[in-house]
Amino acid sequence: MSRYLTPTKIGLLALISLYTESVVPSAATIPVLSFLISQVLPVNSVTSRNDDLLRSRDIALTLDDFQKATINHISGIPGRTVWDLLLNKLWKINSFDALHVFFDTLSLLLQKTPEQLQNEAEGGADTDSNPNRMLLSRTSPLGAFVRRARLEFTRLQFHYGLTLGKSFVPYRAPSLPQWKKRNQTAGNTSFDVNLQQDHLDLGDRLTEVAYGELETGALQVAGVSTEDVKKLLEYQVDQMQRMGSRLPQAMKMKLRDMIESGVTIPSLSHYVSFLDSWKAGDYPSSFDNLHRYFDYTMHNRDRTFYQYALLNLAILHQDFGCYSEAVVAIQETISTARENNDMVCLNYSLSWLYHFGKAHPEEIHEVRKKGVLGTDREALAFLKAKAKETSMWTLLSTSLLSEAKLSLSHGDGVAQAFESILKASHLNVTKNVVNAIGSQMSMQSSVFGRLGVNCQAWVYGELFLQCYASSSPVEDVVHCIGKSAFLLSQKGRYEDALARMEEIEEETLQILRYSQYWTSSLGLLKFQRHLHRDNLTAAEHVLSQLRAPLNPSQDLQFNVSMLEMDLLIRRGDYSKAMEMLEELATKFNEEEADTYQRVKLMTLKAQIYEKSGLPQKGFSVALRAASLAHRARLLPALWEAVGRVSAVLISLKEFSAAVKLLESIMPQVLECEDCNLSAQTFALLADAHVGMAGQAKAETLQRKEQLTKALERIERSFDEFSRIEDVRGQCEMMAKKATIMHLNGDPVLANDCAAKYLDIKRAAKDQL
Amino acid sequence: MATFTKANADHLRNTLQEAVVKCSERCLYQSAKWVAELSVSLPMLPSASSSFDADTDSQMQDVDPPPISPAFHFANNDPEEARLEAQELSRYLLAKSYFDCREYDRCAAVFIPSALPRGPLSPTSPNSQSRTSTKAGKRIGKDSGVITEVESEPPSNALPKLSQRALFLALYSKYMSGEKRKDEESEMILGPVDGSTVNKELVGITRSLEGWFTDREARGLSGSNQGWLEYLYGIVLAKGKTEEDAKRWLIRSVHLFPFNWGAWLELSELLNNVEELQKIVPELPRNLMTLIFHLYASQELYQSTDPIHKELDELDNIFPDSQFLKTQRALLYYHSKDYDEAETIFSALLHADPHRIDSLDFYSNILYVMSARPKLAFLAQIATATDKFRPETCCVVGNYYSLKSEHEKAVMYFRRALTLDRNFLSAWTLMGHEYVEMKNTHAAIESYRRAVDVNQKDYRAWYGLGQTYEVLEMHLYALFYYQRAASLRPYDPKMWQAVGSCYDKVDRPVQSIKAYKRALVAGTYYDQGSSFGSGTTAGEPAGVLDPETLYQIALMFEKLNQLDDAASYMEMTLAQEEGPEEDDDDEAEGRGIGVTTTTSKARMWLARWEFKRGAHVRAMELANELCQDGVEVEEAKALIRDMRARMESGRSPS
Repeated sequence: MSRYLTPTKIGLLALISLYTESVVPSAATIPVLSFLISQVLPVNSVTSRNDDLLRSRDIALTLDDFQKATINHISGIPGRTVWDLLLNKLWKINSFDALHVFFDTLSLLLQKTPEQLQNEAEGGADTDSNPNRMLLSRTSPLGAFVRRARLEFTRLQFHYGLTLGKSFVPYRAPSLPQWKKRNQTAGNTSFDVNLQQDHLDLGDRLTEVAYGELETGALQVAGVSTEDVKKLLEYQVDQMQRMGSRLPQAMKMKLRDMIESGVTIPSLSHYVSFLDSWKAGDYPSSFDNLHRYFDYTMHNRDRTFYQYALLNLAILHQDFGCYSEAVVAIQETISTARENNDMVCLNYSLSWLYHFGKAHPEEIHEVRKKGVLGTDREALAFLKAKAKETSMWTLLSTSLLSEAKLSLSHGDGVAQAFESILKASHLNVTKNVVNAIGSQMSMQSSVFGRLGVNCQAWVYGELFLQCYASSSPVEDVVHCIGKSAFLLSQKGRYEDALARMEEIEEETLQILRYSQYWTSSLGLLKFQRHLHRDNLTAAEHVLSQLRAPLNPSQDLQFNVSMLEMDLLIRRGDYSKAMEMLEELATKFNEEEADTYQRVKLMTLKAQIYEKSGLPQKGFSVALRAASLAHRARLLPALWEAVGRVSAVLISLKEFSAAVKLLESIMPQVLECEDCNLSAQTFALLADAHVGMAGQAKAETLQRKEQLTKALERIERSFDEFSRIEDVRGQCEMMAKKATIMHLNGDPVLANDCAAKYLDIKRAAKDQL
Repeated sequence: MATFTKANADHLRNTLQEAVVKCSERCLYQSAKWVAELSVSLPMLPSASSSFDADTDSQMQDVDPPPISPAFHFANNDPEEARLEAQELSRYLLAKSYFDCREYDRCAAVFIPSALPRGPLSPTSPNSQSRTSTKAGKRIGKDSGVITEVESEPPSNALPKLSQRALFLALYSKYMSGEKRKDEESEMILGPVDGSTVNKELVGITRSLEGWFTDREARGLSGSNQGWLEYLYGIVLAKGKTEEDAKRWLIRSVHLFPFNWGAWLELSELLNNVEELQKIVPELPRNLMTLIFHLYASQELYQSTDPIHKELDELDNIFPDSQFLKTQRALLYYHSKDYDEAETIFSALLHADPHRIDSLDFYSNILYVMSARPKLAFLAQIATATDKFRPETCCVVGNYYSLKSEHEKAVMYFRRALTLDRNFLSAWTLMGHEYVEMKNTHAAIESYRRAVDVNQKDYRAWYGLGQTYEVLEMHLYALFYYQRAASLRPYDPKMWQAVGSCYDKVDRPVQSIKAYKRALVAGTYYDQGSSFGSGTTAGEPAGVLDPETLYQIALMFEKLNQLDDAASYMEMTLAQEEGPEEDDDDEAEGRGIGVTTTTSKARMWLARWEFKRGAHVRAMELANELCQDGVEVEEAKALIRDMRARMESGRSPS
């Protein structure tokens, strides 16, 4: 297999020379040129980033493709299409010598260099026979392609050139019938003028020696060159690294075929298999392949490549949960990168180390002490400065986002976070950092989520999925889908949420990490639904499955614990729930936990106190939670905490204060679109109203009014509960309603409500 | 050879088959191949074809083979030898398999465990004791354990008692190992040590053989010698530059066993000219092989004459399918510059056996001369498909690149050919040509020199050397080499022209004229004397003398101040424009060459000469012709003006 030249390239060259001969009329110029350009431009140039171009770009064009591209265009020669002329050109290469001549004449397509012009002026002669020929500039895409092709052909050893010639013969063979139409003398052996002259046929021994493999078709795969394979592999690596996806099965087969066909394998293929096995979660073979790749690459890029090996190693270690090894490797990376002055690698590994430290604070202590990064803020400031220096826009953008995240989790101003996000967004747009847009949008959506503007959060998620999903890392997409499913489930649209989860492509789930994330998220959804439906046994089953994965992310872990406590509460096992909560709380106190999670925990604590009949005990906790949430602008959590505070107020018979408090937060609560939250708030409001009714004198208009208000709130709360299918809440509301009806002296309606209560209970049981 | 009957054919076939086995028993692969090809090319006479397999069997049965002999073994007729061979059969098989695996030293050690003395061979004849030998000079002492340094003592046989076959194999493998080492030490082609290395085993082999032969003679056994050891001795002597002795031993060898083609080849390499060939012919045995040899040697000496062709025809009757003979015929045509004919034969050969690479390099030379690029590329393609690491293949590819004027690549392939086989003659010569093209005269000279060292009969290398020295303006040197080339190709006008121009350059016009006249004669010789169809030189019409040569002769006469002679040659040059007189009646054929620069120059000269002589009318005529032809118009016009002026002035006083 040749390094660069393939039959396809010969075809392209023929078409280019046709184009320069001015036989392509102006109407056909644009289609022909764009066909050529789509093939000739290197993959990673800016314009070919265009997806359509990439898709239309085959590694090896068949003759059919040429035909399709050219047959509809009438050429400058009457009665002939461009395709006819191209065929003529191709069939003129009717011996190995003709191939040489073909490549020799390519130089005529190019503009002369100053030296050549000088030589010509001195030596005279050597004028082009075709005055209509337009000359290609040496630096134009076509000119560069022609030059490269010529150079590669000159470099070919004789027998490699021969292989090229031989593989060209079967490549061109399908067009023989068409060629025969135009040229009556063409026959079976017109691919070689020598055979034709000597009147030999295909079966002749001489033909067999010269073109032995013609019959067997063993040369079919030779249509790709090392260069092509390398390009292909580069594209794969790019995709895998940018998107974090795996090699599709079909592509894998194709690659294997190509490599087996006797290519000099570019060492990049080891890298591809490394990435693939890494994503597949195959630890030993990914190690093996990584080392193999670097062993093969070492010799031509020497030691400067060492840090990248280490970087990959660190990432690999982290992915497989070997955190201490990962830290060692990344430290080595950083020092080597410093030594070699490789700023790109250094910045990248520092940023990686920063994120690693965020994810696994316990592992990073040692490094912290040595002061590689300093405090988080310093680290970010450093990274930002460095990124700006070396104009690594992706890094700058992610650093800004990390800054936003940091300020949010520290409970700093939202405005600051927004500022950082906007900066990142501006950067993404102006510098065209497409693959950072995903994280930026998901960040934005989560900020809105924190602010309780769930519809905004949802919109950003949708926007991202609609517009940027294809050009973003798969990880972002998976997370975004998980998040939007969670939002849907909050609104009680479980089916939609499940459907959303199913939207994830199957290819993605071949990667171990994503499939773990996906199953856990799905499990959470189901867990929640079972809890609401009061199907506790099923919930327990799901829970045991949720605990199975070895290293779920912190967020997931927290969510699971919260739901588990919810389960315990529903069971009425308050002491155990409390125990678990305390355990979590101490863990959070040790590390720097996210404010959101701490608030959540505190609120839950207050709730447990409330449920266990000691609401006043939770007062301080609830208040602290509220103030914390307020400071961090965690609005949904704030409302929840406020709810807990008002519950305490209710227990203290401070009904009017509770009502005031609750009514003031109600609009924002509704804005959150969190059914559970609004149901509970409504229930509390109803309780407060009932309390106020109790405080009013009997049979007064005031009491009536309060009771009606309470009924109204109960109704609303019931609606919210039924939306999330929370059987217990529904029942509770029904029971309360029945009681109020009873108090109102309306036994029929009370009876109705009681019957409804029983119905709901029965229906829930039936569903089990 | 009409009397060549089926019985004869069968007998011949059996003999040839036996020869194949004998050659391959001694690991003489090329000879075995050659004989085998020859035996297959015998015509399949109807009755013989059916019993072909049975023949070999019966042959084996009548000679009563020893029980353990393998199928290819033909028992030796000499009982003593047969006994020895049977005794050492297992050792022999071991040695042969070592040889086949190219473990030469190990192979030799099977039969001759002790080391032979090593060192370069001194150019003295070992068995002519009258001469005082100077062997001791360069011998490496530590190796000479077997034969102590005794100067005057007759060589003694230190070899163990072995059959001749085993002895040959052992010594031959020693020779091969020496050759291998020599090649390895030579390092790069044209590198600093290339060409100065020697085969260090030669001394040991010479001594051993010398001892063995004297021993045999002393015991009166020389009658039962088989010829193989003589062959080896001949090779060794040839390497030691004692050519007369080498010839003698080789002739002895072919007498004893005529079917060893290798011996014939060596013999033909020792012949430097036809006279030497004529000299040894009477000493040769009278058999078929001698005929083939004579044909081959004549071809190598460029004797493409009628008698040789007749000889070839006769041989062709016996071996109608012999590719070797066909190649010889093609080469004969090639030497007589009948390229079309040669090309046809080669092409047919290629079609008959596409995998045959032997002598394809000659074919490529022919195609090169014919400028048949597509065909040459195709040939290269076929050769490469069969084996891209054969020197012949590399030469074909190199020739192709040379034709495309990619001289660097061509040199690369020629070097590759030489790395594969340093004795590959054509590659040296062709590489010289390439270096000339690349203006690397030193490398060119060295390449040519190596070619000549390998084979002194390569006129192209001589000619190339001459050309290179001419480029370097060292005309005396060039003259020497041109003379060598001319002596090899006395009927090639190009050689004589070169000689002539060299004489001119070194200021010896008389010799120059002689050489040019030879060139004229040689030119006409090919035109009229050549009996092979349309074989003409450089596409000139028949019967035309080369105007350039004529013009040069004229100039030489001018130098000698024999202006009349000069003028007559100038007239002859002019005459070539119209062609010879006898062709006037036949318009279609034999037209003159028309007006060329040379004839115009001659005309100019004549015009001036006539002018000087005062024959103004004739001068005017010539000058006007010049103006008409459009060559050198300015000068002609100036001349005319001058003449007019003179005529005017000459007339006015009269």
